[in-house]
Order: sequence, then C-alpha cells, then structure tokens
Amino acid sequence: MENKNNLLSAEGRRAWMEQYNRSIHREGRIWTLVCLGALLAVPFLMGMVLQAKTDMNSFLKGFFNVAIIYYPTSLVEYLIYVPMLGSGASYLSFITGNLSNLKIPCAVNAREMADARVGTPENEIISTLSVATSSLVTVVVLALGVLLLQPLQPVLSNPVLTPAFDNVVPALFGALGLKYFLKGKKFAAIPLVLSCAVCILVPSLIRQTSVLLIVIGALTIGVSFVFYKKGALDE
Amino acid sequence: MDVMEKSLLEKLNSPAMYLIVGGVIALVVAMCVYFMVKSWRAGVAVGMDRRVLKKAIVSSATFTVLPAFSVLLGVVALSGSMGIPLPWLRLSVIGNLQYEVNVAQIAATSVGLSGLKITELTADAFVTIALVMTAGILGGALLCLFTLKAYAKKLGGKPKAAGSGKKSFGDWAMIAMFVGMCAAYIGSYAGQAAQKEYLPLATALIAAAAMALCEVLERKCGMKWLENFDLAASMLVAMGAAVLLGGVM
Repeated sequence: MENKNNLLSAEGRRAWMEQYNRSIHREGRIWTLVCLGALLAVPFLMGMVLQAKTDMNSFLKGFFNVAIIYYPTSLVEYLIYVPMLGSGASYLSFITGNLSNLKIPCAVNAREMADARVGTPENEIISTLSVATSSLVTVVVLALGVLLLQPLQPVLSNPVLTPAFDNVVPALFGALGLKYFLKGKKFAAIPLVLSCAVCILVPSLIRQTSVLLIVIGALTIGVSFVFYKKGALDE
Repeated sequence: MDVMEKSLLEKLNSPAMYLIVGGVIALVVAMCVYFMVKSWRAGVAVGMDRRVLKKAIVSSATFTVLPAFSVLLGVVALSGSMGIPLPWLRLSVIGNLQYEVNVAQIAATSVGLSGLKITELTADAFVTIALVMTAGILGGALLCLFTLKAYAKKLGGKPKAAGSGKKSFGDWAMIAMFVGMCAAYIGSYAGQAAQKEYLPLATALIAAAAMALCEVLERKCGMKWLENFDLAASMLVAMGAAVLLGGVM
C-alpha cells in the first residue's frame, strides 16, 4: 500500500493531498469541538467537587475585560500563524496552547531541518508531526513534574511562602514589562509615566487594573501609531 | 495561613480535581496521537523519506524539553494561589503562563477580590475565575472551528511571499498593547507604594532586574538557551525575594 502510494504521479499526489486536507478539516473540527466541550466542562465539574457555584455576573464582567484584550490578540495570532503551520498543526496548536513561546518556534525549526517550504504538503505534514510531538513531550514533562510536586505540597502551602504566591502577578509584569519596554523603548515611557502618575494621584484606580489596562493599552496603541506614521519606529 | 485557606488549598489539590484534569489531558493526548499517526501516514503516502519524518519528531521532542521545564516552573508559580490541578491543565493544554496569570488576576478583581491571593480566595471565586480563564482563551480555537477550512482554502497552498523584514503597524500594535498592559500594572504598584504598600512594586522591580540580567546574558554572553527560561526564572527569583522582603516591609 505504502509502496504503491510512493509511486503516485504529481496529479495523483495532488488529489491525495486534497482528500487528506478534507479529512483533516472534518476530523480537526470534531476533535476541536470535543476538546472545547471538555475544557468548558472543567470549571463546572470542579464546582461540583468543591460544592461551589459560578457567579455569572462576575463571570460576564471578567469575560468582557479579558475578551476585549485577548480575542483581538487571538485573531491576529490566527491570521499570522495559520499560514506558517498549515491546517492540521493549527487545529492542534490552538487546542494545545503555548503557541508563540513553544509550538511556533518548534514547528519552524522542524520545517527548516526538513527543508520544507511554507504552503507545501511537506510543510503541512512536518508541522503537524512537530506540534503533536511537542505537545506530547510538554504533557509528559508536566505530568512528571506534577508527580514530583506532590511531596512538596506541605512546603508550598507553608505560610512563609504566602508573600511569594500573593506576588505572582507583580513578578510576571515586572519581568514581562522589561522585555516589552525594550521592544517598544521609543514609546514605552509615555504609558508608564502616565499610568504611575494616575495611580499615585487617584488611588481608587489602583484596584481597577482591568479598566486601567484597557485605557492605557488603547492609549499606547494610539501613541505607537503616531510614532509609526512619523517613521520614528523604523529600525 | 489559617485553617480555612489550608482547607480550600487541600480541596483544590484533592484527587477528584486531579481526576478531572487528567481526563481532559488524556483527551488532548489522544488528539495529538491521532494527528501524529495521520500525518506520518500521509508523509509516507506522498513519498516523503521516513528519515526526514523521524528527524522532525526527534528534533521537535528535544527542542521542547527545555521550554517544557519553563512551563513546569509556571505550574509551580501558580500552585500556591490556585492549587496544582488547574494550572497543570491550563499550562499542559490551551494556555500559556503570561495569559493565565493575567487573566486570573483580571477575573479575581471581577469577583471582588483585591487580586489573585489564596488568602482571599473562596471556592465560588475559584470556579468563576476558572471559567473566565477558559472562556477568555477560546478565540483561536473557535476561529479554527468555524473559519479554518475557508481560510486555508483562501491561502490556497501558495508559498508565502517573503516580506521586506520591516515590522507592519500590526506588529507594533501587538507590542504596544503588551507595553500598555505592563505599564498599567506597574502604575498600579507605584500607586500602592504611594499608599505605603511597597511589596508589589519591589517584587516587580526585582523581576525586571532579573530579566535585565537574563537579557544581558542572552545578548552579550551568547547564552541563547536562557531564552527558554528567562520569564519563569525571573518570576521565581522575584517571588523568592518577596518572601525575604515580606518580613521586612
């Protein structure tokens, strides 16, 4: 069977790939739907275990604040990454996560090693193999890590460590901030100084970070647009 | 940590929670294996060299090991405030550290907490936060579900033309959005410092200093491998410092 297929003519190869792509979309949609259903069920199942209820008003408020930032980001990622990955790897990547920090560089690396060009059947196949492998390795490493974390649970819940876990968010935005301020160094000082000044002068805004980050985020995009139009961002 | 907090953390780490998470991860593993086998067979069928396919698998596996440890450090970082099972799920599939921490923080303030703190967390707040984290990240998967077939057809399998290398405004807008997001949070820590609550700002500054050191090592000392760890490592350094400073401030 395989030997026979290896001898496919160019036309036969094209027809075979078309059929393959059709099945990738059909099966990709089914798997995506099933996985999304399972992921959405998790909070409710956890609620049953914890005997807790979802507060729908708080959920809608939180979801709006998150969606206004992350849905446009998802759209941009989707438009950029799909042509790089091909269909099969895209279905997998958007379910398995860690896209920009892991799956994309991994797929690009595999593609370069295989010398496959973007948009070809070879790229489609290599990217899918690469993303699937990367996801499986991540799952194995995390599962082993979580097993090893079990004996450390009493340590992790020690009150001495409370300041560490209460400051996860400042730790993230300090580290991430430096990285992004370096990337946008020509305009980063404006939102940073403005945000600090506003929060010092109007302390009630300190607890309104979800509103603040939408306003400051929009303002920064506006500032970067002005810089871009003036050619100040040319490298 | 009082008895109530400890009991919530124990519930968040209970076997039933692991079972739920393990089931979903097993489902995603099945999806990966299915696509892997399918694409391997397709590669063989269109005449690709098996050695090339094998090389793609081996190189992807080795490429992933270091970043996966960084992802694991993310689970450690979140485990004290959300338990282990939920961060394990979110970082094994669909999420990433940056998204999870930010969205958990936004969701926590939406349910009326002052932030993502185990000292304030309740079971109701936890499940609401978990639902916000889940629903907020579905954009890409939903786009795949409803538009990928049409988008892939539009792309038509044409090789992508090489760009000029210059960043478009779209690229800058993405950077600007994250600059704005970081500025908003750091501004709020500066505001807290003005109210004599210094620890969040100190933690952020230490994380920034650790990241600056990583950047120097990566760029000037050729330690490119550090890129896989810089974010998680800087966070852990700052969180460690917060423990030491917590007693002083």
